[in-house]
Amino acid sequence: MFLRMILGAVTRQKKKLMTMACAMALGISLATAMLNVMLDVGDKINQELKTYGANIMVTSRGASFLTDLYGVEEGAGVSDKYLLEDELSKMKTIFWAFNIVDFTPYLDAVVRVNDSGANVPLLGTWFRKHLDIPTGESVDTGIINLRSWWDVRGAWLRDEDQSGVMVGEAFAAKHGITQGDNLTISAKDASGSWRTVTVVVRSIFHSGDKEDDGLLTSLATVQYLTGLEGKVRRVEVSALTTPENDLARRAAQNPHSLSRQDWEVWYCTAYVSAIAFQIEEVLTDARAKPVLQVAESEGAILQKTRFLMLMLTLLSLACSAFAISNLVTANVMERSTEIGLLKALGATDGQISFLILTEMLIATIIGGSFGYAAGLGLASVIGHSVFGSAVTAKGLVIPIAALLVLLVTIGGSLPAIRMLLRLRPADVLHGR
Amino acid sequence: MVRHAMFFRIVVSSLIRRRSRMLVALLAVVIGATVFLGMGAVYYDIPRQMGREFRSYGANLIFVSSGSNSILNLDDAKQAIEMLPADKLVGASPFRYETIYYNMQGLTVAGTDFSAVKKTSPYWQIQGEWPQKDDEILIGTDIAEHTRQYAGSFITVEILPTKGSKFAKELKISGVVRTGGAEDGFVFMSMAGLEALMGTSGTANVVEISIAAAGEEISRLAETIQAEVPGIIPRLVKRIADSETTVLSKLQVLVCLVTGVVLFLTMICVGTTMMTVVMERSREIGLKKAIGAGNRAIIAEFMGEGITLALGGWLLGTGSGYFFAQVVSMSVFSRGVALPFFLVLLTLGASLAVTVSASLIPVAMATDVEPAAVLRGE
Amino acid sequence: MNILELNGVSMTYGSVKALQHISLTVRPGEWVSIMGASGSGKTTMMNIVGCMNKATHGSVILDGENISRLNARDLTTIRRDKIGLIFQQFHLISYLTAVENVMIAQYYHSMVDEKEATQALERVGLTSRAKHLPCQLSGGEQQRLCIARALINYPKLILADEPTGNLDETNQNTVMDIFHQLHKEGSTIIVVTHSPEVAAHGQRVVSLEFGRLVGDASTQQIRA
Repeated sequence: MFLRMILGAVTRQKKKLMTMACAMALGISLATAMLNVMLDVGDKINQELKTYGANIMVTSRGASFLTDLYGVEEGAGVSDKYLLEDELSKMKTIFWAFNIVDFTPYLDAVVRVNDSGANVPLLGTWFRKHLDIPTGESVDTGIINLRSWWDVRGAWLRDEDQSGVMVGEAFAAKHGITQGDNLTISAKDASGSWRTVTVVVRSIFHSGDKEDDGLLTSLATVQYLTGLEGKVRRVEVSALTTPENDLARRAAQNPHSLSRQDWEVWYCTAYVSAIAFQIEEVLTDARAKPVLQVAESEGAILQKTRFLMLMLTLLSLACSAFAISNLVTANVMERSTEIGLLKALGATDGQISFLILTEMLIATIIGGSFGYAAGLGLASVIGHSVFGSAVTAKGLVIPIAALLVLLVTIGGSLPAIRMLLRLRPADVLHGR
Repeated sequence: MVRHAMFFRIVVSSLIRRRSRMLVALLAVVIGATVFLGMGAVYYDIPRQMGREFRSYGANLIFVSSGSNSILNLDDAKQAIEMLPADKLVGASPFRYETIYYNMQGLTVAGTDFSAVKKTSPYWQIQGEWPQKDDEILIGTDIAEHTRQYAGSFITVEILPTKGSKFAKELKISGVVRTGGAEDGFVFMSMAGLEALMGTSGTANVVEISIAAAGEEISRLAETIQAEVPGIIPRLVKRIADSETTVLSKLQVLVCLVTGVVLFLTMICVGTTMMTVVMERSREIGLKKAIGAGNRAIIAEFMGEGITLALGGWLLGTGSGYFFAQVVSMSVFSRGVALPFFLVLLTLGASLAVTVSASLIPVAMATDVEPAAVLRGE
Repeated sequence: MNILELNGVSMTYGSVKALQHISLTVRPGEWVSIMGASGSGKTTMMNIVGCMNKATHGSVILDGENISRLNARDLTTIRRDKIGLIFQQFHLISYLTAVENVMIAQYYHSMVDEKEATQALERVGLTSRAKHLPCQLSGGEQQRLCIARALINYPKLILADEPTGNLDETNQNTVMDIFHQLHKEGSTIIVVTHSPEVAAHGQRVVSLEFGRLVGDASTQQIRA
């Protein structure tokens, strides 16, 4: 009989229960979308923050700072230590390989342009190099991804283009160089003899930094000019990292001071110091240093963003939970006559509460399921319109959503039911 | 008694004597107003708050000299800094680069204002202490490793002042700085200390500015300074300024979308609740029509109730919405939130619109019904 | 002149014929009882006369005005000005006090006058209950309040639908006494009822059966 009553109520009170189901669908779609976006916003913002460029700098041990520090030029016997270009693909085999978004090697030289006496800085790099990784995967990486803020008039160079060069805006302005000009570039190799190439200016770039005073070309060209085939001076790495904490800072000072357990936690977390450490492990004689300006700030922004979304999600969920349970209350109140009648017919308070709760739950669970599906759609719309990529649906959201449906429905129904049960059946029936 | 007094009597009685229903409706309006005002304030304030956070990336504007000798006058710099909006300026630190010698090798020493550096470059990690006195220095971690000198030790360096001959001086290393950038290879000391060593003062090579502005705004500031202060060329640190604009605008779009979605859904919920509460009264509407009420009189009564509810809900909701925004802002950014007045007015408009339309739709439906059908007593 | 004239009035709800070709006239000051079993069409007839429903066919002339062609808005005006309605279910507004329930009828009609409303309550013996809400009144009191509300605008016609249907005998007598008093003062009263006892209070009894008029006789004739 109970089943028949429920069935009767559900089929005959379609309109009222539809309202409930719709409201719950709305609420749950909001919850699903917000929770999914919140859980994914860290990864998404992390990706966005990659526009700030590399957060790890890899150099050869021993050569790491001398040129910067003392202004010592080539051949002085201190800067002849290099990294090997062949080894770079190994970086995509470390434990956190998946977190390494982009990397690019640099080799610099001081050259003469068109036989003028001035020393011009020339930088060789990868533009968008296709790499086959030992694990069987392949990646495309290079400076194009790492310098998203550069203005390039014309196109970026291609890696196989050995006869092209990009010219910094300041240098081009000073020497009246325009796109399409031919430049003769010569440099001394390690043995002291001159090597020369003729290249075409493919584009002019503006970086807002010191590169504007020099030239940029493919790594192979610079390696030929300097006679340093297969070698690079430094590598910039852009990696997705976890914000630093105390453990990470202690490890950054000296990883070997950690206890075995701490070590494992640290090594298996995507701290920038852990990733740097793992890069040092795979490259010969390498020294990988986190660029704190990027790494630290990234952490700060990420934490703030995550926290912001968490707060917004919690508060808006609380509000919509209130709003919906309020609606449930309004809905139950509307049924005072029915409750009075049931009481008059001899139903106990428990039976009435159970009946109404079951009805409400059926409506809200159906609504909630639709809402979950709609919420996934909403989340992916947000993901696509803000970040240009889909938001991953997290399984964790389902139990949270289910719990919300239960809490909101029961929380909204009970006070109203209790209030209505207190009324005397006769009063309700006579519409007093 | 005049007619409108009776009108108020009807409205007030309906609100007070149907307490539980009206509380439900009021609660709905309060929630709606809370979300509207709270989310609105958060959305309005996010760029400002987040912009501050982005300052942890360091300087986004630098001043360099317009002359050929790359030395700028600090008085010019001061004049330029005064042109920046004080409430947005996070910090301005001057850097003067000179060479000192340690064990016959040249080291770059930078004179700066450490209290300003703490603001413009919050990412510096110091082992030891920041220098307090003029003869205390910070050394980069690369130098520390190379020379095996750490915080607390004293080193003797040789200085070649602008005028005069080389002399030696003992300096205390108060700390070792680590940034992962060029700073790892520099020595830092206070501007006054360096000026005393070199014998000249009032100059710098570069002034780093960290200002909470992005996109157009910061470009405009740079242009103004370029035009007004001849001794200085302001240059945007493109990497920082551009990236900030990109990321910040994405964040803003995200918060905007989320705000939109939350608002839309809450408003629907509030509307539905109001409608449910009014719908329940179709019998009452039928009765009033039977005893001679015209449609206009009935609509006026429900409008009166709706407006009262909207006003009450707005008052309460403004309070709790401000609290909402304040909680978000304080817990995330540890700063208070600014509540623009137009947002409060907008909330009033939204409460009125939602409440009145949500109560009028079912009333309009009920007024179409013939009173007999309602009174027949189902 | 007749206060009410029904000429060939029919009412159909879909395929259900609730009223068929009813013709009836009521003179001013008359007390007419419309009697019939449940489903005989008496409530439908009351709704038509009370301007709450429009007949499908036929004409209804109330106080010289043909109301069968009027729109909903004009019907409301007529109802307000000429008719006082009394319901079996009382239909009071739950959140207004007794005196306010009377005043609301004044409010919709024209001016609000609390003194007059209090006098109306006095007339039905509810002076002490003026400040009570409907849920605090007994059934008889509620019905008397309903009568006070119906009388407040001096209607040409008082229409009562089963006025004693929800009342015990004492209250029924009280209500009927009020009706007799009104009748003596010259009001025109139509009472719809299924009870011959209540119908007998009137001057004239009109009987309905399955939507048809089957009898129209004065009470004296019936008694005779």
